[in-house]
Amino acid sequence: MSAKPTISESSPSGAKKGRVLLELALIAACFLVMAIFVRLYWVVDFCIFCILVLSFDLLYGYMGRLTFGHVLYYGTGGYVASLVLVHLSPNPFLAIAVGVASGTLIAVVLGSILVRLRDAPFALSNLAFNQIGFWLANAGLQDYTEGEDGLSSMAESIGFLDFTSQPVAFGFMLVCMLLVFWLLRTFTLSPYGVMVRSIKENEERVKFLGYSTYFYKWLTFVVCGSLATFAGTLYALYYGFVAPNLLNPFGNIEIIFAVLIGGAGNLFGALAGGVVFKLMSNYLATAISRWELLMGVLLLILVFRFKRGLTGYAIDLRLRISRRRAAEEA
Amino acid sequence: MLATIVYGFTIGAILYFFSIGLSITFGTLQIVNFAHAMVYAVGVYLFITFLPWLGGVYPLAAALAVVAMIPVAYVVERFIIRRLYGESLDYAIIATYAVLLIGTDLIKWIWGTLPQPVRDPVGAYIQVGEVDLPVYRVIVVASAVAVFLGLRVFFKRSIIGKIVVAALEDRDGVRCLGLNVNKYFSIVFLIGSSLAVLGGVLYAPIATSEPYMGFHILLVAFAVVIVGGMGNLTGTFISAFVLGMVIAITARLWSPAADTMVFVVMAIVLIFKRSDTQE
Repeated sequence: MSAKPTISESSPSGAKKGRVLLELALIAACFLVMAIFVRLYWVVDFCIFCILVLSFDLLYGYMGRLTFGHVLYYGTGGYVASLVLVHLSPNPFLAIAVGVASGTLIAVVLGSILVRLRDAPFALSNLAFNQIGFWLANAGLQDYTEGEDGLSSMAESIGFLDFTSQPVAFGFMLVCMLLVFWLLRTFTLSPYGVMVRSIKENEERVKFLGYSTYFYKWLTFVVCGSLATFAGTLYALYYGFVAPNLLNPFGNIEIIFAVLIGGAGNLFGALAGGVVFKLMSNYLATAISRWELLMGVLLLILVFRFKRGLTGYAIDLRLRISRRRAAEEA
Repeated sequence: MLATIVYGFTIGAILYFFSIGLSITFGTLQIVNFAHAMVYAVGVYLFITFLPWLGGVYPLAAALAVVAMIPVAYVVERFIIRRLYGESLDYAIIATYAVLLIGTDLIKWIWGTLPQPVRDPVGAYIQVGEVDLPVYRVIVVASAVAVFLGLRVFFKRSIIGKIVVAALEDRDGVRCLGLNVNKYFSIVFLIGSSLAVLGGVLYAPIATSEPYMGFHILLVAFAVVIVGGMGNLTGTFISAFVLGMVIAITARLWSPAADTMVFVVMAIVLIFKRSDTQE
């Protein structure tokens, strides 16, 4: 990659680093403020879900590949981490490491088959593998996963890191989420990110310029898969319990929903969407019994009337204000 | 063993009924129509409701259910799929998924979550060797073959069918002839939806109906369409019966794995077949 990107975000690297740090601080502040107003164990859950949504957004929002099989990796992470905790060692870091490694391995293998596809076949093939995983957790590997009963596990506490204490768990998940955000932000601002977005815009042209798009698509798929697995391992550590529903293909629509609320192809959007979706599902789902119906109707509204999500409208607003200011000055 | 084979053919027939519509939308618009499962499931529930009203006359209730679902399918096609089609394939896919969610929840709301059994309308058996075969299943398989032949004639001989086949090859070419391609696509879409409802109605006496029935058959039907080739109607026919047989044989050997085996087959096909599904 020698071509210097000329897309708006190509600022000098020092200033870029400073900006990313500032953004991280801002996000941390937002989550800390939220922790005051919303129940703490919910906010921990938000952090985990946001990691999942962020990883999905890289694949869908940035690279334009819609998948209906993302929770496969999430569930794999959860199950592998729990199995490690139960059978191997109660060390939480070992559980995370083995979990992420196994999810990455699955993404490496499946990715090499699946990234050749696009659009509907891609979405569906992922869904098919997700269904196989769901079945494995439910029935196929029942001897290990305990089927529908779910699998309980307990992580030991290392020093102050005790996942049963909510403030500690919150701090840990928040740091993990910021880490993932920083990673993805650096990724998407780099030439690699430009490449990924170009694949979304017009893959033929990227190929024509002499790049092997297959490799970049594969790499993105693997990164997304391992980050989703990471979220899964955190889920297992925090709740100390995993059930096959973690892998239920219906879970994918929640992630898609969250990304659409926030606005696809924007990491801040992914965070905002994740939080808004979780707030909605926590407050509305208890108040309204027809939650699926409501979700369907809201999805339709999003798709028809609110396409660019929260961040899309925020960008529009900023543009309009700056334009007005320019007009006043002139 | 004979019972397993007949079971496999029956499942294949139902899968074929359901997959035609999916395959056509895939072939014409390249989108996954999740709403197809909604049409299917709601159609079956309407049939179950109509059945006692009409004094248990099975064909009448089935026909009424099919007719009742045509406007619903039309609304989905006209106001959701076609409106979003020009903008983004992803949005169209997500919107049809939303329709499926709404439909499933409406079923749960109106009819409840309890499974709804339907009595075998024929009830007779033929004895072949030592096995009793339900006549009903033979009728189901025969009707699938009849529909297949009927559709072949439709696409080869009728002018609508010919236009759609030509438009599948070259959409813009047909448009340039001054033909309204969308109109013909909607006709075929409605045919596909009606056949899905018909398949569901035929399946109702064999399996019990529950709100998520559409979602379950949809997953398997995706495999059928991908294995058979998108928009390839003969391929869909063959792959429906092959995968139906896969389900029946797996169910005999190890029943919890039945549906999942289909996806294993699909994965193998995806690995070895490159041309059709690739960009």
